[in-house]
Amino acid sequence: MKIIDAKNKDLRAVNTELKASVNGVAVKVKNVSHLHGLAAGMKHGEVVIQGDAGDYVGVLNAGAVIRVTKNAARYVADNMTSGTVIIEGDADYGTGQYCYGGTVVVRGNSGDFTATMNKGATIIVCGDVGDEVGTYMLKGDLIVLGNAGEHFANYLIRGNVYIGGQWKSIGNNTKIEPLTDEDKAKLRAYFETFQIVAAPAGFRKIAAASEKPFYH
Amino acid sequence: MAVIGAFCVSVNKEICINARMPGKCATCAEVCPHNVYALDVRTGEMNVQNFNTCVGCRICAEFCPANAIRINPAEPEYITRYPWTFATVEEIHYKAQTGEYLLRGFGTHGQTPNFDMITVVPSQIASTAPLDKYREECDLEVVIGEDTCDQPIALKAPFVWPAMSFGALSKEAKMALAIGAAETGIATNTGEGGLVEEEAWLARGYIDKEMTHKRWEPGGYLIIQWSTGRWGVSADYLNSGDAVEVKIGQGAKPGMGGHLLGAKVTEDVSRVRGVPVGSDALSPCRYYDVQTLDDIKHMVAFLRDVTNYKVPILFKLGPSRPYADVSACIEAGADAISIDGMVGGTGCSPDIVTQGVGIPTIACIPPAVQALKDHGVHRKVKLIALGGMRHGLDAFKAMAMGADAAGFASAAEIAMGCRVCYACQKGNCPYGITSQKPEMRARLDPVETGHRLANFIHACTEEVKILTMLSGHRSIKELSTEDLRAMEFNTAALTGLKMAGYERPLPMWEALSQTGDGNGRNGKHDN
Repeated sequence: MKIIDAKNKDLRAVNTELKASVNGVAVKVKNVSHLHGLAAGMKHGEVVIQGDAGDYVGVLNAGAVIRVTKNAARYVADNMTSGTVIIEGDADYGTGQYCYGGTVVVRGNSGDFTATMNKGATIIVCGDVGDEVGTYMLKGDLIVLGNAGEHFANYLIRGNVYIGGQWKSIGNNTKIEPLTDEDKAKLRAYFETFQIVAAPAGFRKIAAASEKPFYH
Repeated sequence: MAVIGAFCVSVNKEICINARMPGKCATCAEVCPHNVYALDVRTGEMNVQNFNTCVGCRICAEFCPANAIRINPAEPEYITRYPWTFATVEEIHYKAQTGEYLLRGFGTHGQTPNFDMITVVPSQIASTAPLDKYREECDLEVVIGEDTCDQPIALKAPFVWPAMSFGALSKEAKMALAIGAAETGIATNTGEGGLVEEEAWLARGYIDKEMTHKRWEPGGYLIIQWSTGRWGVSADYLNSGDAVEVKIGQGAKPGMGGHLLGAKVTEDVSRVRGVPVGSDALSPCRYYDVQTLDDIKHMVAFLRDVTNYKVPILFKLGPSRPYADVSACIEAGADAISIDGMVGGTGCSPDIVTQGVGIPTIACIPPAVQALKDHGVHRKVKLIALGGMRHGLDAFKAMAMGADAAGFASAAEIAMGCRVCYACQKGNCPYGITSQKPEMRARLDPVETGHRLANFIHACTEEVKILTMLSGHRSIKELSTEDLRAMEFNTAALTGLKMAGYERPLPMWEALSQTGDGNGRNGKHDN
């Protein structure tokens, strides 16, 4: 595994070296918490970020597998289209916003506005999430194993939201649906793939009440 | 507010085909976006059923095969009944009946401060002699990003097509704009609705995806918009153009995001945006992934990174606090900043926002220019003036006030054939410009319309050239506020331009230049 030490380096230097290094080899990057936009727009490769990551880690990810060994700051995997981003610790505000595809897994908790405007990604949070999570989601799956804050899944348009815990308040344009066998199989497959200890049976599913809630 | 009730519709029954042969013609009912006409299916007779809703676009008159329709403005009511005009009464009734506010397309109508009360100062004997437009050269090129990126944009004329999204516009209209840009060497813009695949090669002048067959010289540029809805955005999308524009706001609805109503979200639009067919695509009013100005700086940094530091990064602002907003864009690392005045157009907006929110274009430019000067980047970070630009004369005045270029959006739609019916949001545009319906889109030939757009740009380019040279300049870079005079107090007060006859800025502007306004702005007008 190639190792890049990002200490005292700027975003351009580190990302350029990273993109040049991932051809067939996994790359470990350390001392990166001062960088915002690390591993931006990568199309392939495996990247391990040792320690904490700054804002916008894995932004516009287009196929790479990125793992952060500790916590990540805000906007994890922003606008990802494919690939996988795994945060072993907690993630701050706005994880997995604007994603069209790929998978985000946060082993710990994730902040407010997680999965906002998700358009097709799978976003799994093993702990709790903050307020306004899943706002204006248009497609994809959001799975929260813990509890959610205010306005959970607010103005959901399409896609599936699953929650194992409780919410403080549920958002507008939502309805609770029973978990189907298909939902359970899907959740089971995600849990198995990402080695998450949980049982689908205890989850609730939230779906959109209408695809056109604004103007009639 | 609304324009309803402002026009008289009259049909000459002696020549109207339907009046003579009921059932034989229903063209006016088919093309009217506001249901002014109604066909009685039982008798085949056409009637003016709903004359109050006429907005004066005259599409019916243009399409009428017998030339039987006349639309006349009912202007006196605005004098005799104001403020309780019929339009206002009807608007209140509408709200009382439906509980809904008005939505419409296009831009602000009615009187707002504009460029018309500014005049151009020609050269005579005391100043530099005028130059000969017919036999001498004039530099009209504008370069964006020349010191900051590997592939700067070099506009052949000081114009752009501002952002208009696929969804708001038809695919054919987007293609026509790209062709028009290619024929004239200017830039077109994806808008926030993702990429129409053909734009990428048409804008550069090619007829094929591989870009091996060039048809339109000199070839133009494609600006990729990054916006709050992030529709159709990916790393590949960002790399498909010649610049990336970060949209902060727009003139028609500053403080709100893009509105694309479900009627225009077809299969194609749904595929690009990822919104269900028929669902309203309402962009957020702000970036969910930005909370501070530092975040914007980081956003610019990763956009440069994802595009390999090749292309310029532009910002687009709505008309709010131009000095502070432009300063923020400069701090964030912009290569160019578009500022869209309140008259700027839209495919859909709440009427009250379009009519009543934002700063007029002529009042946006001076503080924006001052911000650039105070940061030492005027003419380096390019300023593009948008919002109600109609011709080369408006563009020239904006550039003499300190902008580097101007954008035509509403004017581009009109150049494509639009008659300004204010109903873009409904998706029934009979010219195929803002409709997604196949039968409407089929009426717009992208190549022919692209050529009309190029003609419009050629004419405006010549207008700018005439005005630049008669003012004694060989380059648009030499233009200054000394080339302009305000012709009445309001315009002088809004712009700080010298007042015609008085030959000085109004005293309040001179006082400002001595003291500053406490907002980092000293009010100086550098001529």
